[in-house]
Amino acid sequence: MKDGLITGVVAGALTASAAWADTPPDTMVMAYNIDAISTFDPAQIGEVVTNEIILNTCDSLVEIDPADESQVRPRLADSWEVSDDGLVITFNLNPDAVFPSGNPVTATDTVWSMQRVLELGFGNSASLTDYGFTLEANDTQFVAIDDHTFQMTLSKPYPTALIMQAVAANRVANTLDRVYLEDKAVDGDYANGYLTTNTACVGPYKLVRWNAGEVVILEANENYYGPAPATKRWLMRHVPEAGAQRLLLEQGDVDIARDLGSEDIRDMTGTDGLEFVSARKHQLLYMGFDSGQERFADDRVRLAFKYLINYDALAETVMAFDGVPRNSVVPIGAYGALDEEEGQPFSLDLDKARELLAEAGYADGFEARLFIGSAPYSAAVAQHVQANAAEIGVTLNIEQMANAQLFSAFRGRDFDTVMLGWSTSVPHAHGMLSRHAVNPDNSEEAKLTMFPTWRAQWFRPEFNEKVEAALFEQDVEKQLQMYRELQMDHMNQGPFAYMFQTLNKAMIRDDVEGFSWNAFRVYYSDAVKG
Amino acid sequence: MALAETLATPEFKRRALSGAAAAGRLLISVFVTILGLLALTFFIGRMLPLDPVVVILGDDASQESIDKLVAKLGLDQPLYIQFATYVRDALTFDFGVSLTSGRPVIEDIARVFPATVELATISLVFGVLIGVPLGVLAAARAGTWVDHTIRIVGLVGYSAPNFWLGLMGLVLFYATLGWVGGPGRIDFVFQYDLEIWSGFYLIDAARMGRWDIFGDVFSRIVLPASILAYGALAYIARMTRSFMLEQLGQEYVTAARVKGASEARVIWRHAFPNIAVQLATVIALSYAFLLEGAVLTETVFAWPGFGRYLTTALLRADMNAVLGCTLIVGLIFIGLNLLTDVFYRVFDPRTR
Repeated sequence: MKDGLITGVVAGALTASAAWADTPPDTMVMAYNIDAISTFDPAQIGEVVTNEIILNTCDSLVEIDPADESQVRPRLADSWEVSDDGLVITFNLNPDAVFPSGNPVTATDTVWSMQRVLELGFGNSASLTDYGFTLEANDTQFVAIDDHTFQMTLSKPYPTALIMQAVAANRVANTLDRVYLEDKAVDGDYANGYLTTNTACVGPYKLVRWNAGEVVILEANENYYGPAPATKRWLMRHVPEAGAQRLLLEQGDVDIARDLGSEDIRDMTGTDGLEFVSARKHQLLYMGFDSGQERFADDRVRLAFKYLINYDALAETVMAFDGVPRNSVVPIGAYGALDEEEGQPFSLDLDKARELLAEAGYADGFEARLFIGSAPYSAAVAQHVQANAAEIGVTLNIEQMANAQLFSAFRGRDFDTVMLGWSTSVPHAHGMLSRHAVNPDNSEEAKLTMFPTWRAQWFRPEFNEKVEAALFEQDVEKQLQMYRELQMDHMNQGPFAYMFQTLNKAMIRDDVEGFSWNAFRVYYSDAVKG
Repeated sequence: MALAETLATPEFKRRALSGAAAAGRLLISVFVTILGLLALTFFIGRMLPLDPVVVILGDDASQESIDKLVAKLGLDQPLYIQFATYVRDALTFDFGVSLTSGRPVIEDIARVFPATVELATISLVFGVLIGVPLGVLAAARAGTWVDHTIRIVGLVGYSAPNFWLGLMGLVLFYATLGWVGGPGRIDFVFQYDLEIWSGFYLIDAARMGRWDIFGDVFSRIVLPASILAYGALAYIARMTRSFMLEQLGQEYVTAARVKGASEARVIWRHAFPNIAVQLATVIALSYAFLLEGAVLTETVFAWPGFGRYLTTALLRADMNAVLGCTLIVGLIFIGLNLLTDVFYRVFDPRTR
């Protein structure tokens, strides 16, 4: 034993660099901050890391096309038909799909899986309720016609393309192994407790291990009905610190690093063997104002803040690799979005900002709190705004806090100004407008905390009507024009000052091929080491 | 004297009563401290402007769902009822389910704590083995360049941020020289092979007779442990020096020297035993601080330990985990303080 001990320690200590020279060819190793993972239940997942994993382990009816994020392609559903009135969508499920338990995938599983989303009532249920699905209609809106035919009935003729993106491609349409999970349910929880640490669905990969704060391991599903994944195993190592991720990547101990800082990426760009990849997210970094306060209720005051930001300078420095300037409420890449030029009309103009404040009756400025969270660039961007605001007499007192605290303050309408991000899971103008332009009821009692407009106490009934009208407009040209006008009006009157559309970014080793992603998915099964 | 006679003596009875009273006082004091700790953690937790319900349900949840969960979690109950429930559960180590991991908090703590204990223990061993001799040497050579050097080295260890030391250590020993393993407790190639038995990877690897895994784990723990040890040894060396200087100025030391005892004998046989009790307190406190969690070191080295678990929980409004961890930290300090008290009573006659 003593000999073994000495051998082990010496071997470990002296040959460390050799031992970690390369990752195995059949395993993709990714350094990733996976702290946010708290459940694998598709009905509950509320953050991007687990969403990325679940969409590679649990198939939805369709999936966003990697080549064009505004389109969907078949996944569990081979094909689908839409009724003439646009109210009924019938999905034909792949008959070869089998769960890891050996149970066949049936339409009844899909019905149960979607019904439980509404029954459980987590935030994800909004992906259904936003499109008219209700708990009360649970028995009629999702129906299994036979084992392989699933039918979805809408309450209104929502655009089919939008329903496919927002519902059928979403994790709320992940089909779970009902027969297996019904045994795992406790106190009517629809197996929510079991799915906290497990998956029970069919996808190109299956979850084999999650050690919280340490590692997630996915292995290829050998019985997958679709194309076999190109890489046998994905291993996500929890590495929260960007500097450590960089060292691991440079040493070849990981193939992909997902949370590098801008400075690290700048330093590493051009390094042999490494490649920088990025994709625009449908997430906007914005400043919010409490329109319940008289000063921020004036459109001109909110508008003034949009002239306090040197977007291009920030894009080249603080936000380099993290975001691109964007003032429109609809992100680039979404259906109906303004083009880059039209969607970015503002620039730093202190005179204009001063003039707007004076017109609003605040020529002497005012003092307000600015709440920010823990994103790496938040403090720098906030300081930039603070410095420019000081030039026009506005004193912004920055208070940085944990994101959970920031969200609580924002939801509780307990803020003056706030800086944070908002994502939409739909590549469609309606995805953002339905939350950032619509406020169904501004009263305190309504507590519509899921609407940022409600949180900001911004209420314009005409926007509610215009967003609804645009959604159901059948003439495409007319609809696009309506979305254009909505964005232009929202830029001048809206409750928020949008600054940047953020980026997904990663540094990968150049022997990784086929790393495919967009704003909504990372397609693990396409990536392979050359 | 027979045992029965001994037990019957008034002197024994007096001592037994006195001992029982002391133990009773100690128990009451521990109980009150724990209750105070529970109250403090609970009420601070409730005062924080964080909403655990939103963390569970998600930002898009409707108010109806929020209200339902608030009722289910008992958060609509008066605070004193919530506190009573919390104390009842906490006394059985039931801290509820973590919002961060979805598992019972006590299971999470049982998982992350060995990682920290393993790291802290090795750090402490390094810290004591190097810190104590350095402190003694500094005292013995007080005022000389040896003393100054040790004090400066100690000062750097005391004041240099572990975060920075960690990153620099990784750049030098991992990335440049390749002497140690990178961040993480174990290389992924061994991830499947190691059977978790105790949660202490070195022990688990040795138990399996897998010396290759043992070597890998050792090469990964040695750097973070050394960096933590540097801070601990700086503290231990400073305190040792201070205790020793006090002893070396005592008359009994002068008397030993007059009698011709060698300097080594004077230091190690006469003076050092007299600082052992004080030193035990310092070492126990160092251990408590190391166990409490070296958050930044654990972050840099991707070490899935207690400190990082607590920090993550705090940032995510996971109050069950925060309260559970805080209580555990409190219990560690109380436990180590108790141990030190006992140590004092056993080895220092003046405290009896």
